[in-house]
Amino acid sequence: MPDTLNYYQKNNSKKGLIIDRIAKNIFLSMAILSSSFIIIIAGIILVRGIIPFTTDNLGIGRVSLLRFLTGNTWLIGQTFASNLYSIGFIIASTLFITILSLLISFPVGVLTALFIAKVAPPSLAKILRTVVETLASIPSIVFGLFGAGVILKIVYDFSALIGYQSKGGNSILSVVIVLALMTIPTITTISEVAIRSVDQSIERGSLALGASKTQTNFKVVLSSAKSGIFTAAILGIGRSLGEATAVSLVAGGRRSGFSFDLLDTTSTLTTIMLEGLKETTGIDYDIRFSVGLVLMVVILLTNLLLNAVKRRVGVVNVKE
Amino acid sequence: MKKISLFIMILLVGITVLACGAQTTTTAVTFDESKSINVYTRDTTSGTRTGFMEGIGFASAATSDSVLVQGFIIKDNTGILSTLAIDEYGIGYVSLSSVNDSVKGLNFNGVEPTEVNVINDTYGLKRPFMYMLRQDGDYPNDTVEAIVKAFVAFLSSSDGGDIINNSGAIALPSTQTWDQIKSSHTVCTQNNAAITVRFGGSDSIQKVAQALTAAFMPKCGNFIAEHDHTGSSDAYKRTNDPAIKDTAVGKDVGFSSRFFRDAELNVNSSLRGQLAWDAIVAIVHVNNPLNNVTAADLKAIYEGSYLTWAALLSK
Amino acid sequence: MSKNKKRMIKDGILQGITYLSSTVSLITLLAIVLFVFGRGYKLLNFDLIVENFESQGYVADLFDDFIFCDCPATIDLSDDFYYSEKWGIALSDGTDLLGKNIIEIEYIHPDSPFKMVQDKGIGEEPIILRTDYDIIRIAFEDYPTALSRYGAKNMIDSLNANNSIREIEFRTKGGGVRGSILTTIYLIGMTLMIALPIGVGAAIYLNEYAPINRITKLMRSLIETLTGVPSIIYGLMGLAIFVPLTVNLTSATGGNLISGALTLAVILMPVIIRTTEESLKVVPDEYRQASLAVGANKTQTTFKVVLPSALPGILTATLLAIGRIIGESAALVFAIGTSIKDDVSLTGKSTTLAVHIWAMMTDEPANIELSATIAIIIIFIVVILNIIIKIISSRYLKQKMGASS
Repeated sequence: MPDTLNYYQKNNSKKGLIIDRIAKNIFLSMAILSSSFIIIIAGIILVRGIIPFTTDNLGIGRVSLLRFLTGNTWLIGQTFASNLYSIGFIIASTLFITILSLLISFPVGVLTALFIAKVAPPSLAKILRTVVETLASIPSIVFGLFGAGVILKIVYDFSALIGYQSKGGNSILSVVIVLALMTIPTITTISEVAIRSVDQSIERGSLALGASKTQTNFKVVLSSAKSGIFTAAILGIGRSLGEATAVSLVAGGRRSGFSFDLLDTTSTLTTIMLEGLKETTGIDYDIRFSVGLVLMVVILLTNLLLNAVKRRVGVVNVKE
Repeated sequence: MKKISLFIMILLVGITVLACGAQTTTTAVTFDESKSINVYTRDTTSGTRTGFMEGIGFASAATSDSVLVQGFIIKDNTGILSTLAIDEYGIGYVSLSSVNDSVKGLNFNGVEPTEVNVINDTYGLKRPFMYMLRQDGDYPNDTVEAIVKAFVAFLSSSDGGDIINNSGAIALPSTQTWDQIKSSHTVCTQNNAAITVRFGGSDSIQKVAQALTAAFMPKCGNFIAEHDHTGSSDAYKRTNDPAIKDTAVGKDVGFSSRFFRDAELNVNSSLRGQLAWDAIVAIVHVNNPLNNVTAADLKAIYEGSYLTWAALLSK
Repeated sequence: MSKNKKRMIKDGILQGITYLSSTVSLITLLAIVLFVFGRGYKLLNFDLIVENFESQGYVADLFDDFIFCDCPATIDLSDDFYYSEKWGIALSDGTDLLGKNIIEIEYIHPDSPFKMVQDKGIGEEPIILRTDYDIIRIAFEDYPTALSRYGAKNMIDSLNANNSIREIEFRTKGGGVRGSILTTIYLIGMTLMIALPIGVGAAIYLNEYAPINRITKLMRSLIETLTGVPSIIYGLMGLAIFVPLTVNLTSATGGNLISGALTLAVILMPVIIRTTEESLKVVPDEYRQASLAVGANKTQTTFKVVLPSALPGILTATLLAIGRIIGESAALVFAIGTSIKDDVSLTGKSTTLAVHIWAMMTDEPANIELSATIAIIIIFIVVILNIIIKIISSRYLKQKMGASS
């Protein structure tokens, strides 16, 4: 086959070849352009993000990097007149919230995927799949609206019920619920694909050995789809870490103090970037790029860590 | 099997929806004074926050979060209103025009927050709405300048005052109607549909400013009003700061929701003035027995001297 | 037997858990839809979609020779309406699309002096007062002005107490989302115009031309990394690169549609590239070989054979992209800004439906109702898009299966 191809290709006119080369180069340049965006983004965030640490911010003074990363008060002193910014407590709460929301969304999402792929009767599976897909495509701002209108009230009433005085429901718990609800469809969709692609023969083998259908589903199917399910978890974490508008409507804007109290207010890296941004110069503006930089690093580190874990988990995976 | 599973699903959904519905209708009626006060505030860029903090004698909290009580909650205007409809033990503040039946507005130093009390200067928790113009002759053209001068005249007429009052702010007293003074602004008798006048400055005054220009447009030859509100400090910068006023963001009229200060006062006083007052109201949940607060009470709450409602109510 | 029973119970529980888990999604969707409809249905009407956000105002006066109507209404008026026999006009209290109190004209008697009024502005034609206008105020000589915020009853009482008026101001209904819908459409068009050629081109290169080597692998992983970047970071990038760029090159003064479209184009790049590449991959190699074999060069093959077969995939990518544009908020808050405008221009500030919600939630006046109404519109569009994607992909699947069999 290649020989005949070559023969016909040689027969092509020279003009065709020139067009081919031009076309190839155009496509190449588009590919290079697309792949360079990430470098541009990382570059600009880095360049803008380090301004508060490297310049004296028009006389206010350099922001101390160590203090910025470890401190427990967002800003001490007047806005635009102080360099005492810290996001240590925000980094901690961001990670805490992400883990908690994953603890809810991961089992629920994976079990839903299992249900759709293996347990549910076909008609029900079809309905549920549509439900999950619709949920996945609902914009985050609508989740935020729902959070502000419904979840805040439920959390407030719930804490009153257990005798705790909640701050209007603005709390870690509300953020976790909103994020979990948002990430469940993501996790479900990807896990379902992974579960579906598990080799039928493995399943049949398990059934033949006398395991019940349910045992097979839980022990064999899930563990064979491990790698794919792990990918789903990674994407879920990414979505939780990066969500901004929906979270900011239920977080309560905590400005100081490490707190892991589920019913107390909180802030995440994204909400602190979004809140109160009106001016377009000065330290209070530049510092948001620094927060963005930290967010990028946090995401990168989490991804590296999870991928390392995935590789170790994935090795056991039997596939074809 | 299929039918059973479908039935179970529908049942579960039904139960949950019912449970949610039932839960939202239960609210306690007793007010527990031993609870701590949940302090709600706007963020540091908000003009309402500046007005409130300065009004209660806690000016350092206008742009600094770290002087506030530990554990305060930052919400925007909608957030403060909707959360205080839920949170029985919270306190917050909004503009008088935003107050509705879902929350309870407090008297300030014994004076009820009403328009009458703001105009007769007994209600103290308020901030001014100011305007600033470009230097004479420094407009894109003479027609724009003439329209701007006519607009300022309109602001101090009773017709302008009506519009200000109608949008929730409180106009300064005036005696003349626009009909009585319009003869000295002949620009308004011609067709100005091709003329754009640029308005900017404080964003908390945007709604009032838009209502004013919307009312003034048909009165002055249907000129076009372009609103781009960014913040009080831009009222000066975009009309008179030599570095900015002639760039693309330059404005013909700038609004500010605080008194002018520092370099802004160097602008000739004929080019700036006040058009209205905006009252800020401290609000609590409707179940809260509190009806009146003093500036000192509010400062004590916001700086953290009073941590529980008992501390305030038993006083 | 007992062991078997135990196992059955265990299985039952496990299965029950999967049922429970799946109800979570169902309940969430139901709750969101119920909430959004419950809060927003009141404002949902056709006016909302076609109306301007800002209203058009008029100022007018009665004709000098007007005569009082002194007439009973010719139609039955609802109990909520206030009718003045003297003036022959019925008003009612209402709220506009922003939730603000307004006074609506409900009925004007044919003999009413308000039937036709004199334009006090520069217009020379008399204005016919229509029932879809809101009255802002009616001013009198030496009598307190009747403002819309004092209600319809006050206005009718004031009218009845006076024998003439000084002026009446009224306006068209405002608060509509036409501008935001237009902006969303503009943005969709512009973003796709930028992102589709680049994305599809890049996908073609990666799938049709790229040698299998390190550099290609690197390019792929760089593009793939874009998917993990949160939209707020894209927003910062837009703010730092595209906004200054467009401000310098065009008449824009801040965030604008072009900077927004550029930012969105970068966000969509990985989605478009991946979906297109996947659809390119399933184009059978025989097609390419056949095309080359009949003498077409590679470019012709790509454009005339490969791309058409991959068209459904590209269409899916486009629809996914549209869905993302409609839902995006965090990035656009930075890259365009939150001002709601009626005049949509490429270099102007105006905003999309999702940011409209954000602006409503964060700005004065407080307004959950309108936000919920816009959310209904967004959910509606998104569901329609989903259905179209499903139809395309199922058709496509059938076609492919038909072709292969």
